[in-house]
Amino acid sequence: MDNILEVQGIHSYIKQYHILQGVDVRVPYGSITALLGRNGAGKTTTLKSILGLVSVRSGKIIFEGNEVQGMAPFDIAAMGIGFVPEHRAIFRDLTVEENLKLAERKRGDYSRKSDLIFDLFPDLQKFLTLPGTSLSGGQQQMLAIARAMIADNRLLLIDEPSEGLAPVIIERMISVIRQLSQTSTVVLVEQNFLVASQLAEYYVIIEEGRSVKAGTMKELKEDKAAIHHYLGAA
Amino acid sequence: MKLFIRKNSIILITLAVLIVLFTAAERGMGSKDFLITMLRGFSLGSVTFLVASGFSLIFGLLDVLNLAQGTFYMMGAYIGWTAYVRPDTFVDIITPLALIISGFTLGSVWTHISNTQHINLKVRKILPWGLILVSILLFVLIIPKYPIAIWNLDNYALSPVTYSFMADQGTRIPVTPAVFEKISPTIAIVGLLFASILGAFGISLFKHPVQTQSKLKMKNFVPFIIVLGIGLVGYFFNDGITNFLSGLDTIWLFLIAALVAALSGAGLGALTETLFIRPLYSRPIYQLMLTLGLSAIGMEIVQVIWGRNEFVMPRPSIFQTTGSACPATSFSSWLQTHCSTVLLLNARVRVYDEIFIPLVGIIVLVAVWILLKRTRLGMIIRAGVQDREMVEALGINVRSVFTLVFAIGVGLATFGGALAAPSTGLSNAMGESLLLAALIALAIGGLTSYPGAALGALLVGLIQMFVIKYGQIGITIPFTHIVFKPTPPIVPASTVLLMVIVLLILPGGLLGKRE
Repeated sequence: MDNILEVQGIHSYIKQYHILQGVDVRVPYGSITALLGRNGAGKTTTLKSILGLVSVRSGKIIFEGNEVQGMAPFDIAAMGIGFVPEHRAIFRDLTVEENLKLAERKRGDYSRKSDLIFDLFPDLQKFLTLPGTSLSGGQQQMLAIARAMIADNRLLLIDEPSEGLAPVIIERMISVIRQLSQTSTVVLVEQNFLVASQLAEYYVIIEEGRSVKAGTMKELKEDKAAIHHYLGAA
Repeated sequence: MKLFIRKNSIILITLAVLIVLFTAAERGMGSKDFLITMLRGFSLGSVTFLVASGFSLIFGLLDVLNLAQGTFYMMGAYIGWTAYVRPDTFVDIITPLALIISGFTLGSVWTHISNTQHINLKVRKILPWGLILVSILLFVLIIPKYPIAIWNLDNYALSPVTYSFMADQGTRIPVTPAVFEKISPTIAIVGLLFASILGAFGISLFKHPVQTQSKLKMKNFVPFIIVLGIGLVGYFFNDGITNFLSGLDTIWLFLIAALVAALSGAGLGALTETLFIRPLYSRPIYQLMLTLGLSAIGMEIVQVIWGRNEFVMPRPSIFQTTGSACPATSFSSWLQTHCSTVLLLNARVRVYDEIFIPLVGIIVLVAVWILLKRTRLGMIIRAGVQDREMVEALGINVRSVFTLVFAIGVGLATFGGALAAPSTGLSNAMGESLLLAALIALAIGGLTSYPGAALGALLVGLIQMFVIKYGQIGITIPFTHIVFKPTPPIVPASTVLLMVIVLLILPGGLLGKRE
């Protein structure tokens, strides 16, 4: 088994709408894999399907050899998957510290990981007692990533980490995600192809709810026609 | 200036209300009446708060407007009364109840069996229904024959009204203990246990089997052993426990009764959430109808068991003494005399109604506040109010937190019922007006805000008591000589008026989140 996650031909529904109509994703251990595609193609829905937040009607999702489709989201997450959602979803009634502590899955996760996290995000340590939403956009993104690191997650699903951030902060983000990928596997949804191409080793292109192309990022970078056709980027 | 008003509108409104109250008091009543009315307002506010806080917790996290909250409050009063006035009935119920629950405490074991034993698909479809049918049959056969010493609604001398009246006079009517006549105790106990196990196993078979590697541990049996143990202790030491409870000082018995009411409420809440609310999370209108229906059913059940007549619940003896030394002149002297009233600024204040109840209200307020702010459960609740999906994505079982919060919310209401009963007496309708008051308190305070529920409940309690008082003494309308006496229907109307005023100025309520 060389893939930590295998998504095999899933079909997902949001209410009565058939959003995903056959998505395959293979994520090798220790890699960064980017899900690419235009707005509304189904990238975020794919991430949510993996976590069980969106109902998967057919197909298989295999995490570390176990089929997880149909399981409750908290059971899937507890197997070792961290989620950094689009728009960060920082809890506003909780302080920064509580946002982190909430993510504990075992007692003491927070104190075990806090050194590592504050090394990576020194800003967070300064604002520990402030409400989570008093942080700036970039800091909130850091908090969302830090929150996903508290528990021992072997797979991190990161949705649009660069969205709405200043270029300097995007640079920081890229280096942080690189560092993360040394200890866990990362699946990334990214609109910004420049960011995705710097980070990821593998890619999957999703179009209208189907995975249409996959391979290594190296190949894709050279395939200008494909980039233009699928992503609209020059 | 505008900004100042907008930013401090909460404080300004509260101040304005207080100023109106104070000036009204200045004009209309002496300081004695004023003090007593304030304390009564606090008391009513505390009871309203117990119902409203449960409301607010449930609504905040689950988005369920639990309209049965008023009925649960009433049931709490009746359950508390039973443990307090008829401890023997209470002890008799422990055993069958524990046996009925016992099978369901083995949930994880049943899931394990259903996951590991491969059962033919056809059998799997029929088996659960068969098991449940047998279980129900056994329950129907055994429960009516299970002896429980209870009052008799048809015989006035043995009705709850009489038991209450005599207990209020300080004597207990001797009761004839229930004995096993129609059924042998062994058959009853084994049968109930068996029925419970079959039923619980049958229900667990509806779930689709999932592959698991988990093994059964001793831990999975602990709740079952505890519940079964309680049931068996209740059976073998029935007389002993009854005599012990009957011999207790009434304050201890009362505390036990309040605890029993709170725990039964929590149990009822958990049951309601798992059985009825859970399948309807995607259909809020159905939930509303359902809680309304449950409230009607609860009322009928209470009428069948306890009857339609109103009756009293005696106050614990330390709040009940009368005599030449009463009223107590200060709290230090009250500690010795335990008078029912104490003199405070020359006003006769009833200790239970006007001091004890507000005190308990404050204790509960602080306790729930600590639960919300200082515990992991509270953290999950606060996070879940905002974004349930993200909490689940962190690997937290939100469903079980939902059940727990519903249980706490209903438990607070039933506790409130038991607490209020000695002061207000028991009646089938006691929940209705309180439900309305709690809803209004919630709207005033800001629907999901916990301190808002407290503030709203306090204001609602105060305004009602002041209107009642002015109904007695009349109020001179400012700048005229007309004396206005509010009639009783104005009492609930005044709370609605307060709500309208607050919501016109602050659509989100006093402490609600401004979106």
